Amino acid sequence: MTALRSIDVSKVFEDGFTALADINLSIDHGEFVTLLGPSGCGKTTLLKIFAGFYAPTTGRIEQNGADVTSAPPEKRDTAMCFQSYALFPHLTVAENVEFGPKQNKVPKAERITRVDDLLRQVDLGKNRDKLPNKLSGGQQQRVALARALAMRPSVVLFDEPLSNLDAKLREQVRREIRGLQQQFGFTAIYVTHDQSEALAMSDRVVVMSGGKIEQIGAPEEVYQRPETAFVADFIGSANLLPFQRVDDYTVETALGRFTVADPPDSDARFLCWRPEAAEYGASEGDNVVASEISERAYQGSYTDLHISLPGAPDQRLHWPGGASSVGDHVTFRLPPDRIRFVRGELG
Amino acid sequence: MTWRRALLIIALLTPGLGVILVMIGSVFYVAVMQSFGYYNLVGEDTFSLEHWQKVLESKQFSRALRYSAYIAVVAAIGSVILAYPIAIWLRRPFRGSLVISALLKAPLFVPGLVASFLFLNVIAFHGIVNQFLMWTGLTDAPIRLQNDRGAWGVVFLQLWKNMPFALLLLTGAVQSISDEVLDAARDLGAGSFDRFRKVIAPLTVQAMQAALIIIFIGAAGDFAFQVTAGPTNVQSMAQYMVFLKDSFGRWNQAAVVGVSLMVLALFGSLILAILARFILKSGNKW
Repeated sequence: MTALRSIDVSKVFEDGFTALADINLSIDHGEFVTLLGPSGCGKTTLLKIFAGFYAPTTGRIEQNGADVTSAPPEKRDTAMCFQSYALFPHLTVAENVEFGPKQNKVPKAERITRVDDLLRQVDLGKNRDKLPNKLSGGQQQRVALARALAMRPSVVLFDEPLSNLDAKLREQVRREIRGLQQQFGFTAIYVTHDQSEALAMSDRVVVMSGGKIEQIGAPEEVYQRPETAFVADFIGSANLLPFQRVDDYTVETALGRFTVADPPDSDARFLCWRPEAAEYGASEGDNVVASEISERAYQGSYTDLHISLPGAPDQRLHWPGGASSVGDHVTFRLPPDRIRFVRGELG
Repeated sequence: MTWRRALLIIALLTPGLGVILVMIGSVFYVAVMQSFGYYNLVGEDTFSLEHWQKVLESKQFSRALRYSAYIAVVAAIGSVILAYPIAIWLRRPFRGSLVISALLKAPLFVPGLVASFLFLNVIAFHGIVNQFLMWTGLTDAPIRLQNDRGAWGVVFLQLWKNMPFALLLLTGAVQSISDEVLDAARDLGAGSFDRFRKVIAPLTVQAMQAALIIIFIGAAGDFAFQVTAGPTNVQSMAQYMVFLKDSFGRWNQAAVVGVSLMVLALFGSLILAILARFILKSGNKW
């Protein structure tokens, strides 16, 4: 059943900037959906429209089938975790968590139980009487999460909640958020520009660009089968090459002629392959490419190699070993089933 | 800390602290001493409680004390109450907000006596208020609005003059609250008034206290508004002090009133500031 739905939602700000255009998105109960895209793509605007902070210029928002487009945030069954945590600095950890239930006239006994349970779950029971400025960033984020969950909302909205944390803590809190979401079963809408966060946490990823949805799908789907050049380029690394169709299963590119598993659609603009799709060992046959290494960067588990051919500049591939130097020749094969075709323009 | 370092710190503080101590300290010292019979302009310098006794027994003094306290409390609280919604409104810039903000702060640049004079012209028999009342038919003839017994004129002038000052302090404090904190409160179910009571007011309490203290002190010691627009049946402390000095040359009694005014300013403003914090704290526990 649909928990939250946007129907033909667009948002034009007073200065004429169109932040969103005709957004149609349905999110099911208990689903973890990530809005992923670069800065300015409209993901936070859409989240704030879901929360009720912004009114859409056109279109409407439905929650559990009811139109909530004009309902203010305090009247919606949503709770938000903010990028800056937005904790109340004058209230203790426990008072912060209790704020929502108190505001919503939850009986005292139940409030205390909720606060105690949530603080225990986010491992902050010992910090209940501290002010937020005495906590680390990760702890503050957990308070913000507990504060949102204390409302028992059916939908929790996350606005880049991990962007202020360091890499290690980010991964830890990421797992905690996902764990709590599965435990409580709430619907989560998560905004991020970090593709690894989106891929690791989500049931579905909504990739956005320029106020529009580029693609919606499971993490594997958007990574393995990007539909547009933007999605291919934004999620992970992708090599994009203009191509000419020779026949249904053969295309010609600046890297050479390739046999493909699926014929390109009529609106396909680029051949796309991921750096890790390259297979090494074959020196001749179909789909084999040989070139000189123009640049290399050791990445630990693999080496990032760059090759350049006329018409195909700066193609990247992941070399499994470390022994390679600029100027060396590399030969690799692109399996037909690892070649995709995408539509759209390059950013 | 070595004595050399302590000496250096004292030497560095002397230009600022020294002036304060000498200028304010000496005035305070002389006023207190004069109230006890010293520094007499005429007669003997002897310790005496007589001046305190005479002043404290005077009905005029107790009325002046109550009146000044009333004006100061109303001016301080009223200015803060009026300034808050405007500060919140001006929190985020919008087209024309700078002009509005500048216009609202204009009274800060008008001397109190000039403001009183302008006010008297507006409410005079021939002033625009009476003209308007007669034009609308609410009155048949001009009515007396000057020096009203309820001191509404003085209260109006105090608010007109002090609200911009409170606004100046509160705008900065309100602007320092992030949008996300207010959005969070809203998201958690707090309506406009609850957002003010539970988030904005507690987070700006220091600015609020500063405004209350400074306005209270200024209004408690008001002379200019009172002598021009104030009621004639009661004197303010400052007015009474000058009256004692000018009319009878009672410098010692005037000093008693002066010291009492300082005590009123100190304790009144402190009580107001503590009360503000206490109310907000208990409001948060709700």
